[in-house]
Amino acid sequence: MASSVAGASICIKSASQTSNRTSRLRSVSLLNSKTFPFLISYKGSYRLQICCAAKPETVGKVCEIVKKQLALPDDSDVTGESKFAALGADSLDTVEIVMGLEEEFGISVEEESAQSILTVQDAADLIEKLIEKNGH
Amino acid sequence: MNLLRRTVRIPMNTFCLHRTFAASALHLAPVQLPSRAESHLWYLVPDEVKSVSLLGQYSEILSPCENEYVACIRGEQLKKTALLARVLVRTTIARYQTDGYIDPRSLKFRKNIHGKPELEWDNDDSGSRPPVQFNISHTASLIACGVTNSSPIGVDIEKKDRKIQNNIISFARRYFTPNEVERLSSISDLNVQRQHFLKLWTLKEAYVKALGKGISALPFSTFTIKSRNFEKKELNGSGDSDPEITVESVDGQRSLLSNWQFTLLELAGTHFAAVCVARDGSMGDKCFTPKKLTVMKTIPFVGDESMSGTDAAIVCGF
Repeated sequence: MASSVAGASICIKSASQTSNRTSRLRSVSLLNSKTFPFLISYKGSYRLQICCAAKPETVGKVCEIVKKQLALPDDSDVTGESKFAALGADSLDTVEIVMGLEEEFGISVEEESAQSILTVQDAADLIEKLIEKNGH
Repeated sequence: MNLLRRTVRIPMNTFCLHRTFAASALHLAPVQLPSRAESHLWYLVPDEVKSVSLLGQYSEILSPCENEYVACIRGEQLKKTALLARVLVRTTIARYQTDGYIDPRSLKFRKNIHGKPELEWDNDDSGSRPPVQFNISHTASLIACGVTNSSPIGVDIEKKDRKIQNNIISFARRYFTPNEVERLSSISDLNVQRQHFLKLWTLKEAYVKALGKGISALPFSTFTIKSRNFEKKELNGSGDSDPEITVESVDGQRSLLSNWQFTLLELAGTHFAAVCVARDGSMGDKCFTPKKLTVMKTIPFVGDESMSGTDAAIVCGF
């Protein structure tokens, strides 16, 4: 997987089975390098789920939908790393956002998956996974 | 049997602006744990807490982890609400003093497998629950904390004027049960329909939170919340013998769900609040006595005000 992503970074997040929301997020960045196959930088908490990061356009679309739901100004700083809770989203906001994403992308997100959506990036990754599942 | 100290109503704004608080001067008035036949609902209005020094004192009772979490929240109002929510939980629980004086800073919390906050409890191995059971809910403008004596409890609040971004019936078809969709669809006034939606949402959230789960573990389409009547009455302690609001699982096994009591309120004039509490006694008990709910407004370390029987706590129809 690493060799096909020269120069790009893959996020490897480890997920605790107990979905502990207070645990801090660490992400492992995998850079193409001859000497060291990967460079580890710890930024946040710890979730086990190997995935490829979603396309920037998908992340952008999610940001738009989130800003609209939470009535945030267009220029507000919402990125892939933004946590829904930190943006002030409560459970109803999160479900409304997921519904908005379902309609925008033509996917169906089971409620069970909602537990693992903590950041914008999580939502974007899940969307692409579901689109791929639908398409093939 | 209300053993809360009556407090003189002090204009909170003045009080907060002109006093500086030293840590040693802050003390928490103790509160008697409710009997098994009652529950307490505390609420705090963030806008009424203006003192910068008081807010500073509040930060000092949070754990480092909690302070870090608050620091991550975007926006001053949301940060303040996040801080006050943690303060309300810590100080409220500490006041029940089930084991002598408790420093609110000393309380330890953890989350269950679904993310519901719980008190860490010495007798964990025995499987018994700590006597103080609590659940919190907040919006940007109100924080509520429900407390019982040993019974699981779930609380959820929503602002009454909250707008729904999606089409309400589409949303209900997607996430609620057919019975609930039918009820919502039968309401022709869109504003009344929106309010019914919000009440239904808070009731469903309160239920899954009382169970210690979340929407992921117990999708809202798996159970229906129904009402028997539509009357509005003040919370005065006298309850009907038949529960007004009930929950049924969608497969019709109603007997499994008869041990939950719901109370739906208009709180502080601005919010809907749903409280769901496990009943004691055997299931199918015909002589069911509803648990009394006592509502108190509070500012930790400053004062309390009983709100039961006032316009700030009105039992509302569903």
